[in-house]
This record gives sequence, structure tokens and C-alpha cells, in this order.
Amino acid sequence: MRPRYKRLVDNIFPPNPQDGLVKNNMEQLTFYSLSSPEKLDRIGEYLYQRACRDLSRKRNGFVLIAMEAMDQLLVACHAQTLNLFVESFLKIVQKLLESTEPDLQVLATQSVIVRFANIEEDTPSYHRRYDFFVSKFSSMCHNNHGDDATKDMIRLAGIRGLQGVIRKTVSDDLVENIWEPVHMDKIVPSLLYNMQDSRYLKGMEPHSPEPGEEKNSPPQLAETCIRELVGRASFGHVRSVLKPVLKHLDLHNLWAPNQFAIHTFRIIMFSIQSQYSYAVVESLMLHLDENSKAEPKIRTSIADVLSKIIAIAAEESVGPSVLEIINSLLTQLRTSVGREREPGGGEEHAYQEALINALGEFAAHLPDYQKIEIMMFIMSKVPYIKQQGGMDDNLLQHMLLKSLLTVGRRYNSVSMNTTFPASFLEPLMRMSVVRDPDLRLLKCSRPDAIFARKYVPELFHCLVEGLRLENNTVDNVEAVYTTLALIAIELACDDVLPDFLNMILDIQTGALDKTTGLTAAQRYSLHAVAISLLVLLPHVVIISPLSEYAEKVVAARQEQDLSHLLPELLVGYEVSQPPPPGSPVPQAALIDRQALADCLKDAGLDSQHITSTNVVPHRHSWVESAGVTLKGSVTDLTNMELDSASSTPGIQRKYPEEELTFEAMKRVLAESSVVKREAEALRQKQLNEAFRATTFSELITNNTTSEEESLQTKLNELFSRMASGLSTPMTPSPASSHSSTHKHQQTAPVPVYELLFPELFAY
Amino acid sequence: MEDYKFLFKVVLVGNAGVGKTCLVRRFTQGIFPPGQGATIGVDFMIKTVEIDNEKIKLQIWDTAGQERFRSITQSYYRSAHALILVYDISCQPTFDCLPDWLREIEEYASQNVLRILVGNKVDREDREIPAQVGEDFAQRHSMYYLETSAKEAHNVENLFLQIAAELMEQMRFKELPRYEQEQAHSINGRTTAIGDSCCSRLS
Ligand SMILES: Nc1nc2c(ncn2[C@@H]2O[C@H](COP(=O)(O)OP(=O)(O)O)[C@@H](O)[C@H]2O)c(=O)[nH]1
Ligand SMILES: [Mg+2]
Repeated sequence: MRPRYKRLVDNIFPPNPQDGLVKNNMEQLTFYSLSSPEKLDRIGEYLYQRACRDLSRKRNGFVLIAMEAMDQLLVACHAQTLNLFVESFLKIVQKLLESTEPDLQVLATQSVIVRFANIEEDTPSYHRRYDFFVSKFSSMCHNNHGDDATKDMIRLAGIRGLQGVIRKTVSDDLVENIWEPVHMDKIVPSLLYNMQDSRYLKGMEPHSPEPGEEKNSPPQLAETCIRELVGRASFGHVRSVLKPVLKHLDLHNLWAPNQFAIHTFRIIMFSIQSQYSYAVVESLMLHLDENSKAEPKIRTSIADVLSKIIAIAAEESVGPSVLEIINSLLTQLRTSVGREREPGGGEEHAYQEALINALGEFAAHLPDYQKIEIMMFIMSKVPYIKQQGGMDDNLLQHMLLKSLLTVGRRYNSVSMNTTFPASFLEPLMRMSVVRDPDLRLLKCSRPDAIFARKYVPELFHCLVEGLRLENNTVDNVEAVYTTLALIAIELACDDVLPDFLNMILDIQTGALDKTTGLTAAQRYSLHAVAISLLVLLPHVVIISPLSEYAEKVVAARQEQDLSHLLPELLVGYEVSQPPPPGSPVPQAALIDRQALADCLKDAGLDSQHITSTNVVPHRHSWVESAGVTLKGSVTDLTNMELDSASSTPGIQRKYPEEELTFEAMKRVLAESSVVKREAEALRQKQLNEAFRATTFSELITNNTTSEEESLQTKLNELFSRMASGLSTPMTPSPASSHSSTHKHQQTAPVPVYELLFPELFAY
Repeated sequence: MEDYKFLFKVVLVGNAGVGKTCLVRRFTQGIFPPGQGATIGVDFMIKTVEIDNEKIKLQIWDTAGQERFRSITQSYYRSAHALILVYDISCQPTFDCLPDWLREIEEYASQNVLRILVGNKVDREDREIPAQVGEDFAQRHSMYYLETSAKEAHNVENLFLQIAAELMEQMRFKELPRYEQEQAHSINGRTTAIGDSCCSRLS
């Protein structure tokens, strides 16, 4: 007499396999298993043996039935009794996978994914066939069957199988570690291979999948699977996923062109737990290091991928990780500059552009206060050489300054002037001293001209925009003026002259613009800045008609008792005959667009750009970002003290942030970004309150003390050097002519530009 | 109850086109496949053989020779008990690449993996590498050496049976107390040791 359980098992098989599982008898078997769970092991073993026998006799119909029965028992029975039964189940799955028949392989993966992956076990067994499953499923992912439908079917089964193993093991700490390289090195390339074998390689645009399409196409399913995998990765696992990704892209030449690489990394960035996204950027950066000997084309492509994903990381990056990333990029840039003279320098240049682009992308997505930090950090990296440096140094300086501007360009234009701290300008101006002996003689070298053409309008736009802000103080306006004057001295040349003139006109437009809420005093300041710049400009680029015209306008203002439209800038003006509010400034006292164009034409220059009215629209309303503006100014002054080292030429400033320790990194990573954000919000609130509580003049005092002084010393130094190179005779400064009774004027130092451009104030 | 006593993993490597897939098909299915595409990634086959009345299951992983699949193929070396390195005796470049393959194996396979050098396609008239040259190379690098023809079923069965026998021998040897743990690779001495981790014994 056969044991009861064997009879029950035998009864579920019909005489003819086409008839399928005998339902009633299956119910009996299930009931028996539930009531006598101790028999489950034997039932499993017996089912397994039957299936093996049927397999070897090629009676696949019966194999199918055995499998279905096992699936049902697996689902019906309770966790604690499953242990050995699961072993039998997995053994038969393995048997099926060893078969050469596609149908049986697919059957096996279905069981794994649909049943096994979803059951919870109390006692997971350590020694399972995961190694075999991963190996076999990965192999199936590469199936090369002659018949396309079969090939797709097997590949899909392989991907599903991997998905099942991932789900099963990731959730379970006790079982084999799926994140081990031995598994990841199979799983990841298998998924990528299926993804790449799709439209991305055929140059088609990616499109979002139709519902249901995912099930039918290996690329879609592979993509889903990799998202799932990456999404489950903890910090320690990120590297073990990324390593095979990078290797795969290397070996399959998927960097250049890089659509697929970008696609893949986007997927990774969007599925990874956001606090780890920085690790992805870091890995890619590391890969760039490892590829330092690769062709520039490859490196450029990698850097390009970096620039495409870096923004996603920026939002999550905090503290040292930010500077770490910037630092890596700058290091790459430095290395590349050193290589530029080698053959293929042009391609090397493309690489540098890609790096700078990545830098810009990254900075663009950081909060403003960090942008400032980054600009200062870049500044600190610029080599400082008193004598004319080597070719490399000049190039490097050039590149770094370009980076600086790229970051600057991304900077919220509205808060530009208030957040442009003296301590930042200082090294920037230090740079201008050493830049090039040529530059000191106010000649513009060719690369700088190109550079200026490219960035000056952008920069002007930001600065001028800043001038229109209603909360500007005299100091703000002065700072912008100083900056603009500097830019003029540094970069003005025939090519960019129209930009300069447009900028001056824009400032004037701002002063006249009735729609802004500027006070009369603020408007006057703008007029003064505009005319001062116009007077300065012909000294830099010798164009006598322009100089004559400028003097004419100045004279007009003096004659018509409009001296408040001339320097110096005051908080309030005591105008002898206050013009009725809103009364227009007489036309003759204004800078006229057409007149400027004529000056250019007289000098034989292109006047086209100037005649076309070029009013740049406001990009942001200042109201929206008033908080940012306030935050910026204080942040800069409190966070970025100008230490004595940095004002001593020759000593590189060392930023505390530059010291990146592993511990610090860990701390930052451990710190939840939510907490961070809350802290940030709180800080901002306090700042706002501080601003509300303090009086205007107090604020001014706070904002204009020590830093300004050292800045001024530097400026004096710089400009006296420059002055010796100027051909224009300079009259001594009538500094004593200040007769301001304003509190502010007493505490603030003498406006910098008066000392520097005495001739401007001789009127 | 499993239907075998030992399970061994065998991995085939070597340049594309030397006949790895044909060797596996010949052995597992007894056929010489006509015009099949090049292997992509890794292929899998299974065959159970009998040695001294013991059933031995061979898991055979047939890898793609192309460079671009190296990332996936290398990951299969690690758990291999035996590695068959194949070249084509009528194609000098496939022989010249052997040092590269050895470096790969050195880097990714287990230290004491059983390594067999196979010169395939001996049925061809246009031999470029004399048997002696192949054998010398194998000797220098502590490998077994065999010449085969997948096409004419020459030495194919023998190749896999010898591997099975050798690995089984090592398993038996391993059960005895070992004083010398250092792996000693000697072709004649048959003293190849296999690490504990890389063999799985099943009841
Ligand atoms: N003459 C001959 N040709 C063979 C032999 N083995 C394989 N080939 C041929 O060599 C080519 C490549 O074989 P294949 O097994 O795909 O090589 P693999 O890339 O190493 O897997 C095919 O055209 C086979 O027909 C052999 O033993 N003798
Ligand atoms: Mg092949």
C-alpha cells in the first residue's frame, strides 16, 4: 500500500496531460497539506521526483502540472512549514532551467517571479541556488535564438527571473548577498545589454512606454528592473551597481556617442535614493580620473554625461560634497590644461568646455549662498603669479576664470549685487593685477576679447538688473559701479564697446523707469553711475568723439543745475530746486542712444548694435527674491570673513571647506536632507527677522565695515598701479570736497572710486 | 535525492570562432551545428557523465569571445572548477592571443582552477600551429593539453570526461587530510588542489 500523500499527489495528474491539473484532487491535496504540514516536505520531494521522471521522458505536459501544483501549495501553505518544500520547489525550477527547451525555461522563471519571489518565509535557507539562478537568468538575457519571437520570450524570462531573485533577496538580509560583485557583474550587464538593444542605439528618440508595452519588450522590462535594483541600493551598494555599469559602457563603446550613457545615468539618478545621488556623481568623476589616458573624445563624452546628471545631484548635495565635486572638476580642468599643448589640443579644449559646462550645471542648481562659496572656492584655485607665468598658468587662469563666470552666470541675477561680497571681489581684483602685463596696460588680448564678447552682456545684464533693485543702498550701487568700472578697464576693447554703451543706456533706462519703486535718490545714483562710466570708457578705449560727447552731457547737467545726476552718490540729496516728482530730465542732460551710435560711427566702428534698442527684460521680480537678497548679503559677510592670509599676495587662501575628511563626508551623508532644509529655513527666518529689527543705518554700518577697508586698500594698490600705466593725466583727488552730514557717510570709508578716478569728480 | 554525486562548473573561453560552441554542442547534444550565430554573452548547457559508477553533473558555460562581452563573461570565471581555453590550430592569431586570455584567467578565476588548453579543428588541412607548439605552451603554463575536432567528434567526449575524472579525483583527494595546502600544479603529478570554496558537493 502506497503512502496516502503519494496517492494524493498521483491523483492530481490526469491520464491525459492536455486535461490539466485535476482540480478536485488538487483541493484534497492542499487540504491534506494544510492539516498535516509535517508531510509537506515529502509531498514536495515526491512531486520533484515525478517531475524529474517526466522531464527525462519528455512528457512536458505532466511537468507543467507538477509545477502548477507546487505553485499552489507554495501559496497555500504557511511560512513555518515551507522550508524543505521550498527546497524541492527550487530544485525543480533548476531542473527546468537546465532544459534546452525554451518553454520549460520560461515556465521556471514564471514560477520564480510569480510565486517564489512573493512568499515570505520564516526560515530562509542560506544555501540556495541563487548563484545558479543569477548565472542562468543572465545567460537567458543574452539569448540569441534564430527566431526573434523565441529570442524575446527567453530574454524576457531571463529579465523576469533576475527581477524575482532581486526582489527575493534584497528584502532578506539572511540570504545570499545579491550585491556581491559576483552577482552584480552578471545582473547589471545583462540588463544594460537588453536596454541598449533598443531604439537608443538606433538613434531614435526615447519615448515613454505605453501601458502594457513593458511586458512585451525586453528593453522596457530591463529598464524597469534596473530602476528597481538601483532604488533598493543602500549607500554601500551604490558602487557595486555602478562599477559594472561603467565597465559595460566602456566595453560596448557607449560613451561616444553618449545618448545611451546619458539615458542610463538619468535612470539611475531618478531611481536612486536621493541622498545617495551624490555617490553616482562621484563614481562618474572617478571614472573620469581612471580614463585620464583615454582619447579626449571619450573624456568629453563622460564629462558631458556628468553635466547632464549633475543638476539632479546638486539638489541633494550639501557641505563638503559640493566642494568635493567642484574640486574634482577643477582638478580635471587643470590636468587637461597641462595637456593642451600635446597633439589633439583642439579636442582637449572640447573636454575643458564640457567640464566647465558640468560645473555650470552643478552650480545652477545650488542655492545662491553656495554659488558664492563656489565662486570663492574657484578663485582660491586660480594660480597667483607675480611674474608672467608660464603658458600653462595663463591658460589655467583663463579656464578658471571662465568657470567662474559660468557659475556667475547661473547666479540669480537679482541678488547679484548684494551678494557680491567685497571679500570675493578682492581676490578677483588681485587676479586682475597679475592677469597679464598686457592687460595692465589696458590692452585686451585676443582670447580675452572673445571671452568678453561672450560673457560681458550676460554679466552686465546681471549687474544692471541689480542696480534696479529698490532695496539698494549707496554701497550696493557703488559696488556695482566699481565692478563695472573694473570690467571696463579689464576688458573693454572695440569689440565689446557696443555692449558697454548698451549697458550704460540700460542703467539710464532703469533710472528713468517709472514702473519701479526706486526712490529719487536711487534714481539719481543710477544717472551718476551711467555718466561716470561713460566718462571712463573713452579713457580705456581711445575714442575722442565719445569722450567729447560724455563731457558735453556732464556739462549739460552742471549748467542745468542737475549736479545730483553726477557723483557722488548719496543716501539723500539736497537738491536746490527739487524737480516736481515725475518731471522728465531734460533731453540734453541724458545720454542719447543715437549720439552714442554716431560717436562710434565717427570713430569708424560698428554702430549697429547700439542703434537697435536692446532692453533686456526682467527675469525675476525682485519681490519674489527679496528674502534671497537679504539672506545673501548677510551670509556673505558673516560666512566669508576675509582672513589676513588672503589679502597678502602670494599666500593661497585656505578654506576650511577644502579639508574634506571621510568623517565629515559621513556626517554629511548621515544628516538627513530634510533636517538640513529645515535648518536652512529657520536660518533664513532669523535673518529676515534680524533685518526687520535693525534700522537701516545700522544695517549699512554692519555691511560696510572692515571688509570694505581691506578691499579698499587693495583697490588703491591696484588702481595706483594702473594709473601709472594710464596716459591720461590725473588730477589730485579733491577728497575734502565731501561735505555730507549723513550718518552713513561718517562711518563708511571714502567711496573707493573717488580716490581711483579723481578726474571723474573734477567737474 | 539528487541524481548526481558531484556538480562541476566548466567554463569555455577563447577567441570568437575557434569552435567553443561547437565543442559544447558536440558533447551535450552530439551534433555539429550548421551555421549558427556567434555566441552573445554566455550560453549554458548541462550534461551528466558517469565515472567509476558515480554520476557527475557538468554545468557548462560557453562564453562569447568578443571583447565587448568581457564584462559579463569574466563574472563567470570566478565560480568555475575548470576552464577550457580554446584556440584554432589553423589560425595563428587565436594562438597568439592565449597570453591575453591567461591574464584574464589569472585575474578573474579562482587560483586553483583546473586549466585545459585545447587546440580545436584538427580535422583541417591547413594547420598553422604544430601540436608540439601547443603542448609546449600548455606545459609552460601548467595546463593540460588536448587537440580536438568538434566537427569529427575527435577527442571531445574525452576532453570532458577527463575533466570530470580529474575534478573528481581532486574531490576525493581533498577528503584526505592535507598537509600541503599550497596549490601545486603539475601535469604529470596530478596534484592540483581545489579550494574549499569552489566545489559544491551535493548529497
Ligand atoms: N573544420 C572545423 N570547423 C569547426 C570546428 N569547430 C567549429 N568549427 C567552425 O568554426 C566556426 C566557429 O565555431 P563556433 O563554435 O561558433 O566558435 P566559437 O565562437 O568559439 O563558439 C563555425 O563555422 C564552425 O562550423 C572543427 O572542429 N572543425
Ligand atoms: Mg560561441
